Amino acid sequence: MKRKVNSLGWGVRKEGRNIWTRNAVKGISVRKERRKRDGRNEWRLWDPTKSKIAASLLRTRLNPSEIIPLPGDNCLYLGSSTGGTVSHIHDCVCGSGNHHKGQIIAIDISTRMMRDLVRLSEIRPGIVPVLADARDIKQISPFINKKVDWLHQDLSISDQAKTFVKVAEVFLKTNGIGLLSLKAASERVSDGSTENKFEKAQDILENSNLEVIERIDLKGLEEQHVLFYCRLNK
Amino acid sequence: MRINYDWRLARLLNDEDAIIDEIYWTSNVTVSNLVRRLLALQRGRLSPEARVLYERFEEANIDSEGHLDDPSWPAYGKDEQVMFDEAIIKMAKLKIAESSGDLDKRLDMLVSSANEIRSAWTTSESRCIEWIGLFLTEINLDTRRKEIIQSVVKSDSITSTADLLETTRPIFNPSESEWGALKQHCESVISLTKRMNQHEDSIRVLALDYMPTLSSLMGPLSASKLLVLAGSRERLARMPSGSLQVLGAHAAMAAHRNGASPPKHGSILFSLPQVGKSPRWVRGKVARFIAGKASIAVRIDHFGGVPWREEEISKINKDIESIINKFPKPPKRK
Repeated sequence: MKRKVNSLGWGVRKEGRNIWTRNAVKGISVRKERRKRDGRNEWRLWDPTKSKIAASLLRTRLNPSEIIPLPGDNCLYLGSSTGGTVSHIHDCVCGSGNHHKGQIIAIDISTRMMRDLVRLSEIRPGIVPVLADARDIKQISPFINKKVDWLHQDLSISDQAKTFVKVAEVFLKTNGIGLLSLKAASERVSDGSTENKFEKAQDILENSNLEVIERIDLKGLEEQHVLFYCRLNK
Repeated sequence: MRINYDWRLARLLNDEDAIIDEIYWTSNVTVSNLVRRLLALQRGRLSPEARVLYERFEEANIDSEGHLDDPSWPAYGKDEQVMFDEAIIKMAKLKIAESSGDLDKRLDMLVSSANEIRSAWTTSESRCIEWIGLFLTEINLDTRRKEIIQSVVKSDSITSTADLLETTRPIFNPSESEWGALKQHCESVISLTKRMNQHEDSIRVLALDYMPTLSSLMGPLSASKLLVLAGSRERLARMPSGSLQVLGAHAAMAAHRNGASPPKHGSILFSLPQVGKSPRWVRGKVARFIAGKASIAVRIDHFGGVPWREEEISKINKDIESIINKFPKPPKRK
């Protein structure tokens, strides 16, 4: 029996409990994920256990299509690692040969991760790989020409919420979407239980220019993680 | 007034956001020059155009992120975008290549690799000894441990090993292929020993050059292990001596967070004879003293101080002895 297909925006769709993105580079998987043909298009499976954005699309109570960026958007991704999630964002923001003229500025501090990300960006025009400390705004700003429409932070550091607020207030457009993947295990032990850490982070976000639209619990897909879906007000 | 800039241009604006002056990068606009520019900007330097404007208007404020708030800031043109895309890949590749010059990372590789070899050696050596012991039942596996593996490597059969070790021949001999497997395993232990020595020699050379004072205080191998646990020389230099004292005591620190008493020292400090061979009631005091001195030593190395000489090191060792002598008996139980 054929599953019902729900479009979550350009190049992203949900079939049953699976999310697929329209592969911008046909015939190539980024991390050995499944691919399938559908007419002239090829779709790549977006694994929610390996991507917090994909997990949040399955877990949100709101419209998931509001979480993902639009084609042609300018995006900033802090803590891009080897570019697994970045490649799926690239599928919908840039498309094949970057025909949407989108851009994803992918920041990571590790040279080992950057090696793979550079290789990915060579076949996916629109990805800007930057080796920098995402906490340091001055290290990122030379690569950003205009404020971004969409921001995602996935850093395994303490003070994740403070860093997110600092970066969002500088680089995110008014009404831009900001997503913070908060990993409780990376926060200080002195901050208390996992729930206390999430509460503390939410307080920090709410006392800034950001509006927390939804706190998405990723339990079952990513343990000890929540994703804060925010919008920047000014 | 303020100056906004990116890699293409610098702009002077007054308090009403009107453009007073503007300079574009026009000469020698090449991808390799753009890479240099982006590297300099990332280090917090001004672009040459911004510098010119600043020299003209010294009272102006400089804002490296100011261009993001300027609605009239020009978007990249097609050629600029192509050049930027090319430069960004070159720059990332250059920075990745430069990371091989990072002595922290090189020491990390060496120390981690040496730890893995040591762990493999311990397992394989014990297995070989037990394996040979199964056949040579009369030999003392503790006192003659060092000779056993060497003898197997030099022999053609288990009986010739027994003769070489001057012990009783086994009742049952291993088959030819079994003997081959045993001999090869012993050869791998010898090869692991050589590899471990080579690793440790390299660590010594690097550490003595990179952390001369800390190496002379604790020995180059312990100094390198501390550096790897801290993450880098800079992090070790910025670390409080109390944290340095418990580096490597992860489990004990985790237990301490749940109410257990705090650890007196980490594994690296315990491996120093001054700590590990001292009476247990002074180990904490000695570890604290050494951690304090190690903290100063690594700061000397990192921030370019004058390395300690033999006199300073021997004074520290005398101080350690006096701490040990001051507490000859364990404290009375409360």
